This record gives sequence, C-alpha cells and structure tokens, in this order.
Amino acid sequence: MPDRQDVIAADPIVTAIAAGDASAFARWLAGAEPRLRQSLRSLAARIDVESVLQEALLRVWQVAPRFVPDGEPDALLRLAVRIARNLAIDAVRRNRLEPLDTDALERLAASVSLVAPPPDVRTDPLLRRAIDECRRKLPDKPAKALHARLESGGSEPDERLAERLRMRRNTFLQNIVRARRFLADCLRRHGIDLAVELT
Amino acid sequence: MTDRERLVEEAVTAWRPSGTGELRPHPAWADLDAAGRLEVFEVTRLQRRLESALDAEGLSSTARAVLARIRRA
Repeated sequence: MPDRQDVIAADPIVTAIAAGDASAFARWLAGAEPRLRQSLRSLAARIDVESVLQEALLRVWQVAPRFVPDGEPDALLRLAVRIARNLAIDAVRRNRLEPLDTDALERLAASVSLVAPPPDVRTDPLLRRAIDECRRKLPDKPAKALHARLESGGSEPDERLAERLRMRRNTFLQNIVRARRFLADCLRRHGIDLAVELT
Repeated sequence: MTDRERLVEEAVTAWRPSGTGELRPHPAWADLDAAGRLEVFEVTRLQRRLESALDAEGLSSTARAVLARIRRA
C-alpha cells in the first residue's frame, strides 16, 4: 500500500486541492465536470443531474484535505462519481421512486475513466480564435442573454436575469436558444462540431 | 416556444434552489416527463461545452456555480 503523501505528491493538482488551493480546484473542475456529467447520463430521467453534479463537486472540495488517492488514474474524479452516486440514491429515496439499479451504479465509477476530457480551449489557439470570432458575430440580444447567464454563474434564476435585461422570461429563453444555435452553427462552419465532440 | 420547450430551456440553467443548503432540482425539471428530462441533459451538455469554450479559464456556469458556493462557505 503506497504511503498517502507519496501518492498525493505524484499528482500535483491533487496536492494543491488538498491544501485548499481554489484555483487548482478550478483547473481540475474544467476537465472533471463534463466527464462526471457524462457518467450520470443513465440516471438523467430520474435525477436532476445538474443539482447532483454541483453538490458532488462541492463535496469533493470539502473532503479533499482528507482524501487518500489509490494511485490509479483519475482518483479524484472517481471519488466524485462515488459521491454523486450516493447523492443520486438519496434523491431517489427522498422522492420515493423505484430504487436505482445498484449494479448500474457500480458501473458508473468504473466507466468514468473511459470518458475522454474535452479539448482544452486554453491550449488550442485555433479553437480559441474560432470561438472568439463566432462570439463577436452573435446578434445583440442573444449575446446579452448568454452573457447574463455566464456572468451569473448559476447564482440567480432566469427571471431575475431577464428582468435586468428588460426582457420577458420567454424572450430571454428564446434568446438563449438562438445564441446556442448561432454559436454551434458558426463553430461548425469552422470545422468544430460540439455535438460530435460530446459523443 | 411551446410549454415543453420552455421547461427544458429553464432547466438548462446552472441555477438551482437551495433552501437548506443542499441543492434541490429545478422546478421546471420536476415538471418534465422522462423524455423531457433526457432532453435537458443533452441540451445542458452542449450548453456547458459552449460556455466553457467561451470562458477564458475553460469554466462552465456549473463550475462557476460550484466555485461561488465554495467562496460563500
């Protein structure tokens, strides 16, 4: 059994997170979030993946100082999957739904390493340039709606964001849809298909 | 925009109610059937990918929401 300090020292990002470095946690989040989300796909009809995901990621941060990695790849991500799985079981119990298939849940942790991380936009200048160009071309109102959601970082409901932009909630939502479609189409014209990337 | 489309789009936001600290499902998500909830999952995945691509640090609104909760704690 490897010594905890040796295993942690082998992964500098885990070391930094365990020491309470929030920017290291942010860097880890950027790669871990899409992989953890994808691992919860089979539960998406029964649990609100977004709330379970956020709660699980928060708890990873809270337990990281006591976390003992097993020396295998993606140890922190696999911990996140276990936490998310337990939160999913709690949510199903709370809502008195049919219990989740425990075998399927066990497979979640095993499958997460198979989900490839998305390309890192920070280190891909071509992707960065295409995204900046598409963003500049976004029509005004969809751009404002999208910007408002990004800026709020999930801290405010859409009603409040819409009110600030002096839009009706439906108009705000329509503008979000328009922004997403516009950006996805624009990126596709640059040879970047996010839907394919996500499969 | 139909009622169903509106519910799906509302549930795509990273905002979630948090009465006692732990996050709760979005009310719009709770009003959807299984097919609608799967659609929320797929649209959210695309939306978050776009958000992280647009963000200089590669962070989506989900990641930003988690970091904000850490700062508030």
